[in-house]
Amino acid sequence: MSFLSYQHFPIYSVMALFLGAFLIVLFGKSKFLRNLIAFLATAIALGCMIMLIKPVMLNREIICYWMGNRAMAGGYAIGIAMEVDQVSLFFGLLISTAVFVACVYSLQYMEHDDNKPQYYTLFLMLAGGVMGLVLSGDLFNMFIMVEILTFAAVALTAFRNKAFGALEAAFKYLVVGCMGSTCILAGTIMLYAQAHTLNFAQLSSIISGDINPSTLVAFALLYIGFSTKAFIVPFHPLAADAHGAAPASISVLISGVLTKSGVYAILRLTYFLFQTMQLGSIQFMLVFVGSVSMFVCVTMALAQHDFKRLLAFHSISQIGYVLTAIGLGTGLGLSAGLYHAMNHTMFKGLLFLAAGAVHFRTGTTDLRKLGGLGKKMPWTCALFLVGAASISGIPPFNGFASKWMIYQATYQKAVESGNIGFLLATIVALITSVLTLASFVKVTQSVFFGQIRPEHEDVKEVPAGMIIGMSLFAAICVVTGLFPRLVTDFLTGPAANAALNPANYISSMLAGAPVYKTYEVFAGAGVWSPVNWLLLLMIALLGVTIVAVLSKYDQVSESKEGELVDSKFALFFGGEKTEYSQVGGEDLFWGFKQNWRHYFSFMHELHSGVVNDYALWAVVALALAIVFLQIAL
Amino acid sequence: MITYNYIVAFFLIVLGFYTIVTKYNLVKTVIGLGIADYGVNLLIITVRFNPGGTAPIFTAGELTQASYFVDPIPQALTLTSIVIGACVTAMSLSLVVKLQEEYGTIDTREIRRLRG
Amino acid sequence: MFNWLTVLETLGYILIFPGFLFCFLVGLFLSGVDRKIVAKMQKRVGPPLLQPFYDFFKLCGKETIVPAAANKGMFLAAPLVGLASLIVLQMFIPIFNFTAFSTMADVIVILYLLLIPALAMILGGAASGSPYAGVGLSREMVTVIACELPLVLVLLAVARTVGSAMGKGLVFSMSEIVNYQSANGSLITHVSMIPAAIAFLLIIPGETGSHPFDTAEAETEICEGLLAEYSGGPLAVFKLSHSVKVLTLSSLFVALFLGGLGGKIAALVGSFGLSAAAAGMIGGLLGAIVLVMLCLVITIVFISLVHAITARLKVEQVFKYYWTVVTGLALLSLVLAWYGF
Repeated sequence: MSFLSYQHFPIYSVMALFLGAFLIVLFGKSKFLRNLIAFLATAIALGCMIMLIKPVMLNREIICYWMGNRAMAGGYAIGIAMEVDQVSLFFGLLISTAVFVACVYSLQYMEHDDNKPQYYTLFLMLAGGVMGLVLSGDLFNMFIMVEILTFAAVALTAFRNKAFGALEAAFKYLVVGCMGSTCILAGTIMLYAQAHTLNFAQLSSIISGDINPSTLVAFALLYIGFSTKAFIVPFHPLAADAHGAAPASISVLISGVLTKSGVYAILRLTYFLFQTMQLGSIQFMLVFVGSVSMFVCVTMALAQHDFKRLLAFHSISQIGYVLTAIGLGTGLGLSAGLYHAMNHTMFKGLLFLAAGAVHFRTGTTDLRKLGGLGKKMPWTCALFLVGAASISGIPPFNGFASKWMIYQATYQKAVESGNIGFLLATIVALITSVLTLASFVKVTQSVFFGQIRPEHEDVKEVPAGMIIGMSLFAAICVVTGLFPRLVTDFLTGPAANAALNPANYISSMLAGAPVYKTYEVFAGAGVWSPVNWLLLLMIALLGVTIVAVLSKYDQVSESKEGELVDSKFALFFGGEKTEYSQVGGEDLFWGFKQNWRHYFSFMHELHSGVVNDYALWAVVALALAIVFLQIAL
Repeated sequence: MITYNYIVAFFLIVLGFYTIVTKYNLVKTVIGLGIADYGVNLLIITVRFNPGGTAPIFTAGELTQASYFVDPIPQALTLTSIVIGACVTAMSLSLVVKLQEEYGTIDTREIRRLRG
Repeated sequence: MFNWLTVLETLGYILIFPGFLFCFLVGLFLSGVDRKIVAKMQKRVGPPLLQPFYDFFKLCGKETIVPAAANKGMFLAAPLVGLASLIVLQMFIPIFNFTAFSTMADVIVILYLLLIPALAMILGGAASGSPYAGVGLSREMVTVIACELPLVLVLLAVARTVGSAMGKGLVFSMSEIVNYQSANGSLITHVSMIPAAIAFLLIIPGETGSHPFDTAEAETEICEGLLAEYSGGPLAVFKLSHSVKVLTLSSLFVALFLGGLGGKIAALVGSFGLSAAAAGMIGGLLGAIVLVMLCLVITIVFISLVHAITARLKVEQVFKYYWTVVTGLALLSLVLAWYGF
């Protein structure tokens, strides 16, 4: 094999990130070298992943790569393997894109901070950890990568340790995250005790046919362990703390990348390792947890007054959508869930970068202390609106395309299985979507519109590098929203089919003959063609605009602060001064919250901020998972 | 005899989690993490431990079908796990020091600025 | 494959029927009827029937003032986007057997497209920078949330009923729903659909923001809320969108629940023994006339009558009303549809 053969690309992408981390420790003193290394490392990782699209996604190859060429011996996988199938590559692509954009953004965003070499080292360690996790074909290797990314994430959360709550958030995340890691290790070892191997494919071939009570305990341990990485209920408070306190570029990685690694691992566990997805009880577990995450986190977000904390809760709410869709166990559900996972990385990245831009110029993310920035930062405002429309599922942006598929998938599942629970999931998903819209209307009003605060009068637009970072995400949001068929055909479709054919994954590692069955991955019950809609809207808009312009619409008189446009209006103002009055902040939708006040005060009490409570939730969740799995299987 | 190991391993894990949940002192929380970690380490070396087996160190030609030895993989895993455990302790203790400087206390009930 | 005739046809759909001109005329006409009827009920003479047209042209001739605190681009663009999206939405709703663009959107898409005009209004109000608009947008958003839950349940119930009747499980496609009805009679004849139809009719005043659910515009408290800073052309466009929304929701009701009339119209036209093209033309025209009549009835009963006999609710009462009474009706319908009534 030549060194440029695509078989090597997975390891190159992981190596590029880790090597970059070590090189920055050595040469990080120079600003130029540091930026160059970080940029190159992330660009190489992204490039390797893009080059793999053709062989893996289109030709449906599965890359098995043995470290040090130590292949199987005597029917046992002794060496450490990387196995890249369509699911791995799909997540790898998401991760490398998000990391690359976050890196471009960081170059200017981190200007005001010191200790930049450490920042980039940890940044690349985090990226490499997640990359290694999704490309690995070895359960223990996955654990190592989980530890690397947890440490990097904790350290980066506390990076701005003078920021409000950063240390506290890091400590809470460390405690519960390490409980999760302990669970993962214990689960791994229990599986090793049964199957005497750590290779994923071989474990799967042995375990899936031989599930006993101790395997189920291992399943529960692994599930809870990876839940702490995906931050799904009951681990959502940690996500809120960690995202809120970390620098914005790190929030992008934690929300867009780290949570995806948890989702990826749960998908691997349920579809591949234990192959239990056809069971109603496992579907129930994932859909239930997903729907609860969706709803609880969106209502928590409605009550927040910190920009980034609010985004963090939304992030888990969107992960709830992904988990619900994946938990359906159908081709349509899987492709919808993966599509939404991808969209979530893009629009949430965009929103966090916009929050970072606001913080960069004003020094605060408190919704009560902001307002009217849209006039001073028009680009940030426009890009934020794209992100907000995407996450709220406004057509034709990408959030709508994937949510539309999720609704159909859940409802179809409800009709096919005759189970009214899935119907509830559809309704919860639809309501969550409108509550998401409400909370982004709140943010838009509180940050970008309304009246500008006197102390922000001379705020300027952020530098070009940050705008470029946000624009990249925004462009992806628009393109993937306009062409859903392309995404399902070339990215999520192959990945969904790979997940539904676990035998193929196992046989290509253990050198058997692959059997392949194709599943339907695009919506059947409804129709939606975003490009045509957009064309129609554009024509209609053009028509309306022409009519409007013909009728004096554009003859506007702009009033200036403190002066009259025309003396004829003096009658109405009588020389009064304008007063600063901004309507915004956390309590904008009091008409809604009034009816739900008991729920909101209960939730406020529940999320007490004491780390012991969160640890207790983790233990209770673990106990419930063990009991549920023992009863259900 | 090996059964005791399993019992103690799971007892240690539960004890560690119990400590984390019930103790309000940050240093005790860190100790709880450590105990749970030791529990897992004990579990790892207990798995595939063969009573009476030799250490798995052989030169070429020495290894035969009749060799009776302890599975080396869990031991390698334990080493990794111990290193990670040490990192956890170091990192969390450094955070505790910083928290004490910032908040003036190490009581978890008072370190709750982020809530709701 | 560039065909000028298709382009011309598409432009005709957008600009004349069922697009801009149709929406403009019928929307403002419905609004005029509404004002006249309310006045009669309150023993006033009321404005002439064409008053909304006069108002529209008068406002277009007035000066537009952009406030100092406003974000100019958004402030001026929002009304246009809102109107354009409503017109496009109107084209997706079948008028009995006639659909301009049938295979482009289903009920879930329509549910979301209905949000865009409200969102445009909210963003426009927010961009004006006025605190009145701030309060107004909060109330408008709460009303949208309030209407969303029952609307979702109604649409899911419709999808399930048509789906199980057609043996497909579920059907979201708008044109399939209408075609089914024109072949097999209106959906309202199903027992399970009666509560859903009532719920939908009760949603219409909430979605259009008319009395008693007009908390967002409450003139007496918050000076028209979102529209407080608007004047001239943009205000005219917003007023027009408001009228068109009444038409859109009424015709959505007709398409979802009274589609069976389409079959009757087709049978009637068929009995004249005309050529296919002429029959299609006459059928379309007749359909449009029937639609306008039905919209008129819905407007008079569910907007004018309700307007005349009720006083404005508080915003939390609006929310409570929709999430209890109307949601209850819609949920009943969904459960009945689920168990195949």
